[in-house]
Amino acid sequence: MLCDVLAQIAQVLAVMLLAPLIQGFILRYEERVQRSQGPSILQPYRDLWKLFHKQLVIPETSSWIFWAAPVVAFTSMLTVPLLIPVLTNYPLPLSNMGDILGGGLILTVGTFFINLAALDSGSAYGGVGSSRQVMLSILVEPTLILVFVGITLMAKSMLPFVVNHLLVANNAVFWSPTHLFLVLAFFILLLVETDKLPIHSSTHIEVYMIGEARILEYSGPLLGLLKWASMMKQFILYVIFCNVLILPWGLSIHGTVLGISGAVIALVIKLFLVGMIMVAVQTSQSRLRFYRYQEPLAASFLLAILAIIANQIR
Amino acid sequence: MLAAHLDPLAASIFSLITIASMLLSFVMLGSRWLKDYMYAFGIQSWLIALLSALVGYYGHYPELYLIAILTVLFRGLLLPYLVLRILRRLHVGRELHLVLQPSTSLIVGAICVIFSLVLAFRISTAIGFPENIVVLALTVMFTMKLVGFLILSIRHEAVSHILGLMLLENGIFLGSQILIPGMPILIELVVLFDLLVAVACFGVLIRYLMARVGSTSSLELKRLIG
Amino acid sequence: MITLCFTVVLIAPLIAVAGALLICRPRFAEYLNLLASIVVFLAAASLPFIVHTPLFFWHNYLFLDALGGWVALCTAVVYLLASVYAVGYMRLLASDKHLPGFYALFAGFAWTMLLAAFVNNIGVFWIAIELTTLVSTFLVGFERAAESIEAAWKYIIVVSAGITLALLGTVLLYWGGSLILGPSYDMTWQTLRDVAPHMNPVLLKLGFLLVLVGYGTKVGLAPMHTWLPDAHSEGPAPVSAMLSGALLNTAMLGIVRFLAVTDAAGIGWLPRTALVVLGILSVLIGALFIVRQEGVKRLMAYSSVEHMGILALGFGFGGVLGIAGALYHMLNHSLNKSLMFFGAGNVMRRYGTKEMLAIRRVLHEFPVSGLLWLAGAVAITGAPPFGLFLSEFSILRAGFSGPNLWAAIVMLVLLIVIFIGFLRHFGAMYFGRQPESAPKGTIISAWCVLPMWLALIPLLVLGLWWPDGLMQIFMNIAHGLMGGTS
Repeated sequence: MLCDVLAQIAQVLAVMLLAPLIQGFILRYEERVQRSQGPSILQPYRDLWKLFHKQLVIPETSSWIFWAAPVVAFTSMLTVPLLIPVLTNYPLPLSNMGDILGGGLILTVGTFFINLAALDSGSAYGGVGSSRQVMLSILVEPTLILVFVGITLMAKSMLPFVVNHLLVANNAVFWSPTHLFLVLAFFILLLVETDKLPIHSSTHIEVYMIGEARILEYSGPLLGLLKWASMMKQFILYVIFCNVLILPWGLSIHGTVLGISGAVIALVIKLFLVGMIMVAVQTSQSRLRFYRYQEPLAASFLLAILAIIANQIR
Repeated sequence: MLAAHLDPLAASIFSLITIASMLLSFVMLGSRWLKDYMYAFGIQSWLIALLSALVGYYGHYPELYLIAILTVLFRGLLLPYLVLRILRRLHVGRELHLVLQPSTSLIVGAICVIFSLVLAFRISTAIGFPENIVVLALTVMFTMKLVGFLILSIRHEAVSHILGLMLLENGIFLGSQILIPGMPILIELVVLFDLLVAVACFGVLIRYLMARVGSTSSLELKRLIG
Repeated sequence: MITLCFTVVLIAPLIAVAGALLICRPRFAEYLNLLASIVVFLAAASLPFIVHTPLFFWHNYLFLDALGGWVALCTAVVYLLASVYAVGYMRLLASDKHLPGFYALFAGFAWTMLLAAFVNNIGVFWIAIELTTLVSTFLVGFERAAESIEAAWKYIIVVSAGITLALLGTVLLYWGGSLILGPSYDMTWQTLRDVAPHMNPVLLKLGFLLVLVGYGTKVGLAPMHTWLPDAHSEGPAPVSAMLSGALLNTAMLGIVRFLAVTDAAGIGWLPRTALVVLGILSVLIGALFIVRQEGVKRLMAYSSVEHMGILALGFGFGGVLGIAGALYHMLNHSLNKSLMFFGAGNVMRRYGTKEMLAIRRVLHEFPVSGLLWLAGAVAITGAPPFGLFLSEFSILRAGFSGPNLWAAIVMLVLLIVIFIGFLRHFGAMYFGRQPESAPKGTIISAWCVLPMWLALIPLLVLGLWWPDGLMQIFMNIAHGLMGGTS
C-alpha cells in the first residue's frame, strides 16, 4: 500500500521533473537537424530557475484571476499524472478519480483559466490570443472526444489502464485498423495541442501568435509556472500517446523500486522516440494559413470516424 | 459463397486491403492537387488488383490472376499515364474555384461512411450472412460509390470527373471481387476493356473541350440552359 | 429463315461501318449507309411477326424474343428514316471530308442499339448500353462548336455516372442469385427470373431500384434527365432522331426486363410504384419545360422526356392493356419524334437559328413539309386521329383500372397542359407576326422531305387502325413478361 502511494508520488515527480528535459531535447535537435549548434538539453531548467528568481510585475487592471490562473494550470497538470499510466501499468490509489474523459476535462480546465486570465488584464494581445485559442479548441475538442469514444469502444472501458492491458496482450487488436486509425487521429491532435507545426510556430511577432499571446502580461514566478505547466502538458500528452496507444510496453508491473526506475528509463527512451518524430514534423513543414487550419483537423475527424466504423465491423 | 467460409488470416488481409482502398478514396476526396488525386487512384487500383489475385488464390479461381494482371496494366499503369499526359497538356494543377472546401467534403464523406455502414448491416442481417468481411465489402462498395458521386458533384475540373467515374467503377469492382468472385470472366474482361475505351473517349473529348471551349472546367460550360 | 434475318440485322450495319471507314468517299458512305438501313429494316420488320418462342444464338449470349424483336423494329424504322434524311441534311451541315466518319459512327451507333436489344446476359447488356453512350457522344459533338462539345461532355459524364448505378444493381442481383445457385452461373434473363422467387426480397428491391435509377438516367426519366435536352438539341437532326426515337426505347427495354424479374418474385408494390412515380415526374418536368421553351429542338427534347414518362407509366401500370399500349407507344413515338426532328432540322437550316421567336410563317417557306410538320405537332401532343392517341388511351385505360389511379389522373391533366403549351409554340411559328430578319434561302433537298412523308403516313394509318397482328404480338409479349414462372 505504501509502495503504491510512493509510486504515485514518483509518477507526479517524474512528470514534473522530466517535462523540461523533453522540451529541451526537441528544441536542441530541431537545431541540430538543421546543422546549427542548438541550446543544451538542460536549458529549460536554467530558464525556469531564472524566472523563479525574477521580480513579479502585475498589471493594475487585473483581478484575482491573474494570479489564480497559473496556479490552477500547474495544479491541473499535477493532477492528471495521477490518473494515467505513467510508470506502472496497474491502477494506483487515487487513479479512479477519473477516467480518460476526466483526464481530458482536467487538462482543459487549465487552458480555460489561462484564456480567462488573458482577457482579465484588458490588453489587446491577450484578447486576440484567447479568441484564437478558443477557435482552435472548437475545431479540436469534438475530434478529441471522438478519439476518446473510439478508444472506449475499442477497449470497452473508459479506463486507460484497461486499454493498455488490451494492447499489450492482444496483438490482433494492436494491428487492427481501429487502433491504427486512432493513433493517426490522435497524432494530428497531438500536433495541435502541443503547439507544433503546421498550426503553431514559435514566433516573437505578436500578430502571428495563437496561444502565446495570452501570456504576454506575465513575468517572474507566475511566468515560470505557466511555462512549466505547458511543458508538463506536452509531456502528459506524449505519455498518453505512448503508454495508452502506441508503445504500451515498458511499464512496471509490480511496483518495486527496480521496476519503477526501469520504467523511468523506459519512459525517457519512449519520449525521446516521440521527440524525434516531432523534430521530423517540425523541420519538414511550414505553417498553414489561418483558413486552412480545418484541413488537418477534418482529416483527424475522418480518421476517428473510420476507426469507430472499423471497430463496428471487427 | 467464398466470403462465408474464409479463414481468419485471409479475412484480415482482405479487410486491410479493403480499408486501405477506402482510405485512399478519402485521400482522393480531400486532395487539392490533381496529381495527388491521381496517384491515390493509381495506388488504389494496385491494391484492388492485389485483392483480386488473393481472392483467386484463396478461392481457387485461377482466372482471377489474369484479371489482376490486366487491372494493374490498365487501371494501375495505363490510366494514370493517360491522365498524367492530359494534365501535362492542360497545365492545370488544381481546382481553382472550390464549391466545397476539402475539409468539409471530408466530413460529408464521413457521414457517407456511416450511412453505408448502416445500409450494409441491414442488408447482411436480412440475408443472414452477418460476417464481418461481407459487411465490410458492402460498406466499402457503397462508400466508394457515394464518395465518387460526391467528387462528381463538388469538383468541376474535367480530369476530376474522369477520376470520379473511375472511382465509381473501382468501388463496384472491389465489391464484386469479394462478394461474387465467380462472375464469368468474360464479363469482367469486357468491362475492363470497356473502361479503357471510355477513358480514350474522355481523352479525345477533353482535347475538344480545350480547343473549343477554352477551358476544361465545367464552370465554363454554361451556354446550354433551360 | 429467322436466323437469316437475325444475322442480317446485326451484320448489315457493321458492313456499313467498315465500308465507310475503308473507302473514304462521302457519296459512297451515304449510299452504303442508306442501303444498310433499308436491308436492316426489311429484315427487322419480319422478326416480331415470325418469332414465337425465344431463340438462342452464340452460346446463349444473344437471343431473339418478341420483345427484343419489337424494340429492334422500332430502332430499324428510325435508322431507315434518319439515314434517308441524313443524306440530304449532312450535305448542308458538314464538309465532305467529315462525312465518311459521320456515317461510320452513325452505322456503328445503330449497330450498338440493335445489339443491345438482343443481348441475353445482364452484364453484356450493361456493356452494350455503355457502348451506345460512347459512340453517340461523338455524334452529339459532331459539329465541334462550343455548345456541342458542352452537350457531349455533359451527356457522357451524366449517363456514365448513372449507369454505374445500374452496374451496382446488376452486381447485387447477381450476388443474390449466387447465394442460391452457387458462385458461377449464366447471368441470363431467364435464369434471373427463375431464381427471383427464392432470392432475398431486400436484395431484389435494392437491386431493382438501383437498376431503375441507373437505366432511367439513360432513358431520360426525371430527375435524371438533365443531359437529355442538351444532347438531343445539339446533335445534328438525324442524330437527334436516332437518340430520341431509338436509344431511349432500348434503355427502357432493360428496365422492362428487370421489372419482369421482380414481378416473377412477387415482392409487392414497390417496383411498379417507383416506376410510376418516375414516370409522372418525367411527364411533369416535360410539361413545365415545354410551356416555357425557347429553342425548337429543346422543345422536341422535352417532349421526349414526357413521352418516356408516359412509356414508364404504361409499363408501370402493367397488365395486358398497359404493356400493349406502351409497346404501341414505342413505335408511334419513334415515328412521330423522327418527323418532328426532321422538320425542326429543315426549319433550322432555312432560318439559320434555333430560337422559336425568330421562326415565323413556316407555311410560307415550306408549303408541303410545313403541313407535315404541323400534323406531326398535333400528333405528338396525343390528339386523334394519330397513333399516339390510341397508345396513350390504352395506357390511361390501364391506369384507371389499376391501383395507381392518381397517376392516371395526373397524367391526363399534364397531357392537356402539354397540348396547350406545345401548340401555342407552333401557333406562333405558323401564324404569328412576321419577325424582323428574313430567312436564308437554303435549299432543302427532297431527301429531307421524303422521310417526313414516310413517317407521317404510317402514323396516320396506325392511328386509325390498330392491326390485329400487332395486338397478337403485344399480347404475346405481355404474357411473356407477366407470366413469370407460371
